[in-house]
Amino acid sequence: MPTTVAVTDDELDATFSALADRTRRGILARLSEGDATVNELAAPYELTLPAVSKHLKVLEKSGLITRTRNAQFRPCHLEVDRLVVASEWIEKNRQLWSDRFDELEVHLRDLQQRSAGFAGERADG
Amino acid sequence: MDDEEKLVFIRCFDAPQELLFRCMTEKEHLTHFWGPKGMTTPIDSIVVDLRPGGTFETTMVSEPDGSRYTMTAAFSEVRPPEHLAWIDANTGVVTTATFTSLGPFRTEIEIRQTNVPEFMRSADARAGFVTSFDRFSDYLRIAGSGSEKPT
Repeated sequence: MPTTVAVTDDELDATFSALADRTRRGILARLSEGDATVNELAAPYELTLPAVSKHLKVLEKSGLITRTRNAQFRPCHLEVDRLVVASEWIEKNRQLWSDRFDELEVHLRDLQQRSAGFAGERADG
Repeated sequence: MDDEEKLVFIRCFDAPQELLFRCMTEKEHLTHFWGPKGMTTPIDSIVVDLRPGGTFETTMVSEPDGSRYTMTAAFSEVRPPEHLAWIDANTGVVTTATFTSLGPFRTEIEIRQTNVPEFMRSADARAGFVTSFDRFSDYLRIAGSGSEKPT
């Protein structure tokens, strides 16, 4: 299994779309407890197997889960790294604006000092 | 309400409204603060075509390793000096900046992000994920080296 994940914006979009559905989030929560087959995943929901399979396809495409190709019941496996990437995005975005505003405050102080300097020069001259 | 709060950033500045609007829309200003600590935003990487539909592009460069992060967006609303909105071309997230004058030298900036994927807006979902993450760490321990990141 890969230990580091480089995620592009397109992949992140796919991740967010996949996470936007309550059933899919439920499936991921179940998978966080261990691998599971389609039947096991469908059990808590009043959904047909094809409906659950459709959700699994979206999750698989987004990279959030992988499925074993050769085993008979093709158990689903949660790709934790990808989910962590999505969650980190929110926190990073928050931090980004906080830092950005800090820097803006510094920039404004510099501007004010400079304009005070200009005013001083004008008064002198 | 709580859901909304999480994607709203408010800060008051000791500066006039017009100056703050210019800071957010002129490269000469943006280059000084757009990249947070540890990042720079070279002035020649900034594109500001200040009209609805116009391009808003910035590239932040990490000082330690030189990695670059480009944001490409299109302005959706331009109403100087109190309102500005842009749509991120990659994520579809809409960022709205509102500049409210609280006095000649006092201005509040509110950054509000909308059209954010539903799971990010929902407090339940966020709480759910925190819980899930606790379980994930247990899961990671059980899974051993499977997908564990070196720390």
